[in-house]
Amino acid sequence: MKRYFIPLVVGLAVALPTFGQINIKFEQYQLPNGLTVLLHEDHSAPVAAVVVMYHVGSKNEKVKRTGFAHLFEHMMFQGSANVADEEHFKLLQEVGANINGSTSEDVTNYFEIVPSNYIELALYLESDRMGFLLPAMTQEKLDNQRDVVKNERRQRVDNVPYGTADEKIAKAIYTDTHPYSWPVIGYMEDLTAAKMDDVQDFFRLYYAPNNAVLSIAGDFNPAEVKQLIEKYFGSMPRGKEIERPHPSPASMSENKVETFEDKVQLPRLYITWHSPANYTREDAALTVLADILSSGKTSRLYKSLVYEKQIAQTAFAFAASSEIAGQFQIATTAKPGYNLTEIKTAIDVIMADVLKNGVTEKEIENALTAIEAQTVNRAATVFGKANTLANYYCQTGDPNNINKQLDLYKGMTPQEVLAAAQKYLTQKYMTLSIVPLGKPELAAQKGE
Amino acid sequence: MKTISRTITLSILLATFVLVTAFAGEDVDRTKRPVGKPAPKVALPEIQKATLKNGLKVLLVEHHELPTVAFNLVIQAGSDHDPVTQPGIASVTADLLDEGTKNRDALQISEGIESIGASFSTNSSLDGSSVTLSTLTKHVDKALDIFADVVTNPTFPEKDFERLRKTRVAALTQQRDQPTAIANNAFAYLLYGPNHPYGNNPSGTEASFSAMTTAELKKFYSTYYRPNNATLLVVGDVKLSTITSKLETMLADWKQGEVPAFSLPEPKPADKMRVYLVDKPGAPQSEVRIGYPALARNTPDFFAVNEMNQMLGGQFSSRINLNLREKHGYTYGARSGFRFNKGVGPFTAQGGIVTEKSDSALREFLNEINLMRDKGMADDELGFVKKGMLGNFALSFETPSQIAGALQNIVLYGLPEDYFNNYLQNVDAVTLDDVNRVAMQYLDASKMVMVVVGDLSKIKESIVAQNFGEVILCDIDGKPLPYLESPKK
Repeated sequence: MKRYFIPLVVGLAVALPTFGQINIKFEQYQLPNGLTVLLHEDHSAPVAAVVVMYHVGSKNEKVKRTGFAHLFEHMMFQGSANVADEEHFKLLQEVGANINGSTSEDVTNYFEIVPSNYIELALYLESDRMGFLLPAMTQEKLDNQRDVVKNERRQRVDNVPYGTADEKIAKAIYTDTHPYSWPVIGYMEDLTAAKMDDVQDFFRLYYAPNNAVLSIAGDFNPAEVKQLIEKYFGSMPRGKEIERPHPSPASMSENKVETFEDKVQLPRLYITWHSPANYTREDAALTVLADILSSGKTSRLYKSLVYEKQIAQTAFAFAASSEIAGQFQIATTAKPGYNLTEIKTAIDVIMADVLKNGVTEKEIENALTAIEAQTVNRAATVFGKANTLANYYCQTGDPNNINKQLDLYKGMTPQEVLAAAQKYLTQKYMTLSIVPLGKPELAAQKGE
Repeated sequence: MKTISRTITLSILLATFVLVTAFAGEDVDRTKRPVGKPAPKVALPEIQKATLKNGLKVLLVEHHELPTVAFNLVIQAGSDHDPVTQPGIASVTADLLDEGTKNRDALQISEGIESIGASFSTNSSLDGSSVTLSTLTKHVDKALDIFADVVTNPTFPEKDFERLRKTRVAALTQQRDQPTAIANNAFAYLLYGPNHPYGNNPSGTEASFSAMTTAELKKFYSTYYRPNNATLLVVGDVKLSTITSKLETMLADWKQGEVPAFSLPEPKPADKMRVYLVDKPGAPQSEVRIGYPALARNTPDFFAVNEMNQMLGGQFSSRINLNLREKHGYTYGARSGFRFNKGVGPFTAQGGIVTEKSDSALREFLNEINLMRDKGMADDELGFVKKGMLGNFALSFETPSQIAGALQNIVLYGLPEDYFNNYLQNVDAVTLDDVNRVAMQYLDASKMVMVVVGDLSKIKESIVAQNFGEVILCDIDGKPLPYLESPKK
């Protein structure tokens, strides 16, 4: 049955890791209007995932219009020329589909996971909103979804402890015009300012087939599906070429220290450096380092701060990398009775050791094993495969990078990890302390 | 096949939308909705069974798509087994299992798991506890060795308990910042009270932590973690005979024990609606919970209730969500659900509501609940719900973790092993009379509890004015505040 998906063959020798191979077979072609199509057959379950990803995200927004890419994503569920209000959801729920959309800094995706006999319905609905959204747009719908998105912001950011940390950090480490300096969800006042004209302009520019990829994985007959794709998407016109933001590389000229008093019980410290964009070897090296620092009880930060000293409730390190830039971050919540200066001092000791002595081969091997397992798990579902293919297409131009994703990590050496750490984590950084109201003394004090 | 050239497309069609529509209309009639092909056959997981010499039941489903295997040891004792004076004991017992055994300390356990890229966890829920392991098949021996050690030889070291206790107390402190956690805890307490395990915080309380001892944890473990009180689920790239022979050796020292009979008290629903308010000054949203103790998993009305609730608040296109989110813009999402536990679980309608509209949203929640109870569902609504559930079933067995979850339900709630074979039939058998009867029977808003966690300086007055019922101010645990004057109306 399984003709097209050859599962990972994993090989991991003890001394010298030989890394797993992924082989996800797929077909790629482009319609004359520029719509890229990716097809991956997997007949193991009667299921198919239809993903339409547009290469547009919050980084394409303008200052004072933040949050628009995501607000627009909501509008895409409000009907189109041939699909009435609320009908998009109903038609798909009626056949048992799991559906959603998401917006990031770089891309916006829409997906339907359907019983495989309903692929055509998903294609019909996706094409109707790609080609014929605007006639269904009204001021009333915009006002309603603006309210919904404001509620989403309250739910996920404003009414959540530490919820505004990410946007405070982004605002501090990037210049005001850098497209990663504002949050994907947007600022309240910018959401208020969004107009119907913005909806129309945004749609015409970014929701054209040449800025999209249609990725389907699952149980289908390729000849049949190609015909349906031609039928529903073939006649749409190509859009304008899109000018993409290319800001100069971000850097900080001095260390930044900020403190914010919030409705929290325990103080939390965030230390953030600039790091490389995603899908680079250096980003991979820092991802390995993050794993070594905070994944599992024996990881360096966790073991020292949480397990042994017991001064921290949690300790996380991660390389959060996106299309044009990345951030390396350590986030730690103090246990009751400890302040963030104590936490910062303990972190500084560990980081100084990493920057001086590097990490061990054994640590790298454990990290690679974990990264490999995560990669295998992403390929467990048709949605995981369709979405990963689409993502690689949008962000690297080559969906076949899905099969090369572990190559970025292959043969990673302690020297490489050390070099990446020394290159990026010795640069200027930002320290954000979020402390309970009225307790600024718990914040990390300026050091050095 | 269209033959229009790209030059024309670019110069003329791109410019105006009307032309685009006309053009596309040439060969695709978009007013016609595609109809589905015949439904695909869903291959149900084939469950293989074995019983080890020590009495442990093993259920296994082979799944060879990926070279991985997942284990889930289900223990039939969760937080529901916490004595009401000792909330948190099931949860802490589970948490401490992998903090030390006769052969390994906490770091060795962790290092052993990490070195093979496996994932391992110990958990408890209201209805049971579990130890789970997921590993590449080639590392199964090493992984199972640790798994068996943790399950059979935990030592509950004093120093690790102390560390965990501090972490737990700090986590409880953090819950005070989280409006959703406050609402959930207060709601559970107000529905079930202090004398029912469902009313307590399953993570424990500061008082229970200060009294808890490792001796009590060892007793909980030795009473309930017994092969005759457990089932091992295995899903993945393995054969039953291979696994059982490994397990016979590894779990040989794990012996049966006498597990005391267990029953839960019947919760008492309230005599009338009351509104409980918890103050969260400055909150931009109010967290709302409305409901009462409703049904256990063994109700014969399971399918009818589920289908009724799907329409009421169980899916995106439900009445509650379309009303509160899409029509009124009060919330990012509102929903309702019956939680079918081993004992009588709650019905809950809930959402995070923009502060200024808290009173109106409560009114709309009640309107939808009452409308469902009084008028029931329309025939086409039931058809819509059923069709969705039948279609969604095809998506339910794609991955090993989905299959493992399905098996866990069978084991935890004592469902028949052919439960999924009869699932479609049972969904389809529900009639309009059934859903309308259960709506009448199980949606009695006049006995429901309302909990609202929000900025009382902005919402209290308007909620009192709605006259839902007596309004009572509570602390963040849901305990009424007698020393404050509660507003009466």
